[in-house]
Amino acid sequence: MNTQESPHNTFSPKATVFAVAAASALLQACRKQDDIYELETPLLQADNSSKTKLKTNEQFINILYTQLFQTAPTEDYLSALSTILTSIGDQLLAREVVIANFFNTPEVQLPSNEEMRNDIGTFVDATYKNFYLRHAGAAEKAWVTRFIETQPDFTPELVYFAFALSNEYLYY
Amino acid sequence: MSTRRDFIKKTGLAMAGATLLPTILPSGRLFAASGNRSADYVVLVMFAGGVRHQESVGKRYLADAQPGQTAEGNLMYNMLTGAPPSSPILYGTGGGNIPIAPILSNSLQSQGTLFNEVRAFNTGHYGALNSILQGADPVGQGLRIRPVAPTIFEYLRRHGGYAASDVWFVGNSVGASIPLLNYSSHPDYGVRYGANFFAPTITFHPNSQTYIGDMKTYHPESEWAPMMQLKSFLDSNFALTDQQLDTLGNTTEEKENIKLFMKEMNLRTNMGTIDLPPVSDSADNYTMGYAVEVLKWFKPSFLCVNLNGVDVCHNDFTTYIKAMHRADHAVGHLWNSIQQIPEMAGNTTLICIPECGRNAEPNAIVDSNGFVSFDHSDENSRRIFTLMAGPTTPSNLVLGSEGASIGQVSDAMMTVADLLGVKEAVQQAGYIDPAAQSLFDLI
Repeated sequence: MNTQESPHNTFSPKATVFAVAAASALLQACRKQDDIYELETPLLQADNSSKTKLKTNEQFINILYTQLFQTAPTEDYLSALSTILTSIGDQLLAREVVIANFFNTPEVQLPSNEEMRNDIGTFVDATYKNFYLRHAGAAEKAWVTRFIETQPDFTPELVYFAFALSNEYLYY
Repeated sequence: MSTRRDFIKKTGLAMAGATLLPTILPSGRLFAASGNRSADYVVLVMFAGGVRHQESVGKRYLADAQPGQTAEGNLMYNMLTGAPPSSPILYGTGGGNIPIAPILSNSLQSQGTLFNEVRAFNTGHYGALNSILQGADPVGQGLRIRPVAPTIFEYLRRHGGYAASDVWFVGNSVGASIPLLNYSSHPDYGVRYGANFFAPTITFHPNSQTYIGDMKTYHPESEWAPMMQLKSFLDSNFALTDQQLDTLGNTTEEKENIKLFMKEMNLRTNMGTIDLPPVSDSADNYTMGYAVEVLKWFKPSFLCVNLNGVDVCHNDFTTYIKAMHRADHAVGHLWNSIQQIPEMAGNTTLICIPECGRNAEPNAIVDSNGFVSFDHSDENSRRIFTLMAGPTTPSNLVLGSEGASIGQVSDAMMTVADLLGVKEAVQQAGYIDPAAQSLFDLI
């Protein structure tokens, strides 16, 4: 009877498991990690000095109409109103007329006075973004916020009117 | 008790103040107009579209235009003295055979001065209209760009201190660059001295009311003023570029007045109570009706109105003579209406001038009556006339004849400048034709 142990039985099962686990860990440790690319959220702060081109009548109407009615005007509407604007010599006055007509339309989409008064700062931020496609500067936000706070009868409609009529809104 | 020392001190201060602190007028000029203004109101009719000399002041009707036709006569009996054609009558209402009744019992010619043969500079519409308004041959004047030299509107506002709503241009349409004529691109003049402008066939067309006929009204103090305060703040944070909106310098009060006028016109257009000429079946007559309304509302020192129905002569001679007859009707209505405005009655000078004439020879187009048509490009197209009437204009005077022209197209503008007290300033500015002069200097 051969009582001598065979040489392949040198390691116990526990040792074998340990060895395999260790080798596996070593292999994992040597694997190259995948590159992860991330973007920081950029602060889009368009400088108003880059707005140097005057909007055409069509551009002005199209953009304002879309903002106020949340839908684009038809081509016929755009063409007709643009022609009418051309027939009025004082173009600032013509825009006042157009805006005053828009605001007399029941379909116009405006925040309520309550919404504006509940968080004037947020309303001012949103208005700057909507009309100027940029954030309000700190001083701008402070001034406009304070202005609205101190004018209890000043409505979102009047704020929108002022922005739509302002020089910056005429340019892109 | 005031001492002699006090008197001298106060007088000295007052004199110093007067010297050092000149009045800044709303127009931006420092001093009031120094010229002598000899009229309170001037109306200039650009009797435009290309009026052939033969059918207008020539009173030749069909005789000089249509082969085989001999009928002569005066189609413009509100403006000109002379009997109308006896037959055939093709220019009236209905089928054309009912002449429009005269509005004026005495023609403008009999009440004023007719320059029978005047020279036009340019035979294209836009260039020729520019020659009237600039008082110069508009060399280098392109289509679809603003006048290159200052217009009479700008001279009046810059040198005469006239307010924006005191100077008006009423155009017949928004086509053919007409809306560009209310001010030039000249850097020393331009938009800030421009005239207010409407094209009534568009601005007050019933269809336009869908778009601008329902203006919301804001309270001037509790709503509009703070809104403008906010706008002012917003504007203070934005630097304007060279490209600027046509703002014309109307004050807030002037703009509100113009808006009220627009509302009134929309209302009265719907009610059918616009002061249109008795026969108003043409765009020219429609335009003139609203020009009369501008006069009634604003009583401007200067209004210029443009007509151009006769341009149909390129392809339809019959409609051309109808348009000429209606343009005369429109002028008759204008003059009649002016006499019914208390401030302007007997106190307004009217000047009528075509921008160019039409060719001597026809083109190849024949209309439904078999009449040939006429373009405007040859020497005959440079034959025009000028008719003037008003309190300081000699009556029943005719100057010039074929081959002996007196006056040129640029003189109309100089006459306006003369009447409204800016003639010297215009001459000194140096942009007018060297031979341009007031028609009063030619009488």
